[in-house]
Amino acid sequence: MRTRSLPISIGKAFAVAAILLWSLFPIAFIVMSSLKPGRDIFAVPPKYIFTPTFQHYASLWSEWGVFFNGLFNSTVITAGATVLAVTVSTCAGYVYSRNSSRFLNASVMFLIIVRLIPPIVVTLPLFPIINAMNLNDTHIVLMVLYATFFVSLGTVLMRTFIDQIPRELDEAAQIDGAGRLTILRRVIVPLAAPGILAVAVFVVVFAWNEYLFAFIFTATRAKTAPLVISEMIGSIDGVDWGILFAASTVQLAPVLLFVIFMNRYLVAGLTAGATKG
Amino acid sequence: MSDNFAKITRRGLLGTALGGAALLATRPSFAAGKTLNILSHKVHQTVLGTGDGDLLADWKKANDAELAFTTFDSNPLQDRLFREASLPSTDYGVGYIIDNRPTPDVAKLFAPLDDFLKSAPIENYEDIAPGLREAMTVGGKTIGIPVRHATGGLFYNEALLEEAGISAPPTTLEELIEQAGKLTFTAKDGTPVTGMIMASDLAVFPVSFARAYGGDYITKDFKLLPKPEAMEKALTVMADMFKAGALPRSYATTKNDDQVTWMQQGRAAFTMITFARYKQFNDPAQSKFPGKIKAVQFPKSQSYDGEMSAVTESWGMSIPANFADKELAWSYIREVSSPRVTLGMAKNGNGPVRVSTYADADFAAASPVAAAEAKALATARGAFPPFAEAARAQQLFLEDVQLAVLGRKTPAEAVESMAKRITPLLPA
Repeated sequence: MRTRSLPISIGKAFAVAAILLWSLFPIAFIVMSSLKPGRDIFAVPPKYIFTPTFQHYASLWSEWGVFFNGLFNSTVITAGATVLAVTVSTCAGYVYSRNSSRFLNASVMFLIIVRLIPPIVVTLPLFPIINAMNLNDTHIVLMVLYATFFVSLGTVLMRTFIDQIPRELDEAAQIDGAGRLTILRRVIVPLAAPGILAVAVFVVVFAWNEYLFAFIFTATRAKTAPLVISEMIGSIDGVDWGILFAASTVQLAPVLLFVIFMNRYLVAGLTAGATKG
Repeated sequence: MSDNFAKITRRGLLGTALGGAALLATRPSFAAGKTLNILSHKVHQTVLGTGDGDLLADWKKANDAELAFTTFDSNPLQDRLFREASLPSTDYGVGYIIDNRPTPDVAKLFAPLDDFLKSAPIENYEDIAPGLREAMTVGGKTIGIPVRHATGGLFYNEALLEEAGISAPPTTLEELIEQAGKLTFTAKDGTPVTGMIMASDLAVFPVSFARAYGGDYITKDFKLLPKPEAMEKALTVMADMFKAGALPRSYATTKNDDQVTWMQQGRAAFTMITFARYKQFNDPAQSKFPGKIKAVQFPKSQSYDGEMSAVTESWGMSIPANFADKELAWSYIREVSSPRVTLGMAKNGNGPVRVSTYADADFAAASPVAAAEAKALATARGAFPPFAEAARAQQLFLEDVQLAVLGRKTPAEAVESMAKRITPLLPA
């Protein structure tokens, strides 16, 4: 093993510190600002030592009750979209992994092309259609849309994961009398669980923070938290930064904890198939 | 490990997907009785009050109706309103519209209200400021009833003025420039103070400076730069202020919210913003100078003898033409426009559209800027009239303003460029 020279080690440490600072500073700023008295948030010079207050959280609760309805809607929609996307991606990934034909190979290309289409292109024409179907401002419409936009990436990821599961296991199960669905449920899903979780992480992060579809297709009943936060930012009677930062912290916390908890699966998802010969 | 995952995931996948979809697929039904759906900004809902302070409690009872507000921020709201109004039918009965948005094409999406005004008139309609009523009239048809205005005034930090030995706010533009120069200093507490702060992405500032010299950007009859020398003077003054440090170095990226935070922190001595921000500037929880940030009308130049029009933006209530129960929607608009509700909303922080509201003693006592605001409102008008290419024109206008202020173009070149680039965008 080579011994690293001191300057290289110091340089690497500085690089890591700089990346950490770059990534964590905005989060730290939001969380700290949510706990600062309002007049100290933008004080010059900045105040790093202060007596924390939960006043902004109390004001968020009393003045923006709709934000918590939004959080509930975000939770329902994110859960629904994740379950839907993961289910469809797993089934499709299994088919792509275990079957091969000219049509299937071409459709993989189609999946990738679909992913390249900017969402706005399909969003506006969908508005009158969704409205005519009486689905506007329902949770289900966002679940389906979010899932749809992630099925292509999810399918490709799941295919890569399932490719790594030896076909011999399928064959052994087949000899024991298992059908396709049983093989999927009892053999593939348990072994591809890390992949399923990796896909779930992607969908959760996307669905939790998404704004455009939510803006177009919701009004009150399915309004998500990012929409309420955008109202706080652009308020015509002035932005209350303390409340805004409190809302951002509340919005940020669950997904941040989720991603930290699932971090290893996310990395697994990103590197899936990287070493496949 | 894998087995555990399999058990949980399988149930999660199937149970939650099917159960969740079944529960949520059905669109929730509307509440019993009549419901009037309204598309507005949150502030329009808030000023109507709740509980015992609900200004529309009697109306709801009399009409056996409930109100369901859908709120968005200004631009998304306009986008949503126009989209709803362009459908074959909509559930929204009332939409709040900004005065500089209804182009002739947009106006067609809304029901003309003139017949309603004749058959079921609004109480003392003439009391609503004429400029605001005019702003809601497109092609001779009334498409909205004014409900809120935001008129610009000059805010100053009295404490900083005193510290610099200035006893009164400016009464002319020349005095403003001189005072802003003096107030570009380091305050006793060590805070570096900039004389004036203005957002670079809004037309209201150059337009106000130009109007102070008797000029304008685009008049209501679509004359571009009716007095080019006034715009040139305005740009010269702003560029000089920037050069002298009386505008922030970050002028090119300064936004509306920066104006508020800089004033609250004592980093700027003057700004121009709507009178409605008085409360926010003086809120002890947010401001380092509660009670010390005051407002007057934006002053005109001593060289100009004419009338100075403040810049105002107003909101009106409109009825989408594709909404079925227009009678109910009109009934709501009539009630909200009444003198009683207008006063009630004003006490809750709404910019009142009726001249008589400013005469109310309680309101005047509660709002220290009411007198200045009433004076400014009397002759106020929008920064520019609505037309299809208004957004693009404003973008080009601001580009030239910024280049002139930053010294990258002379004011004369900027004015010439504005005329050349914006003229083709104006309606024929």
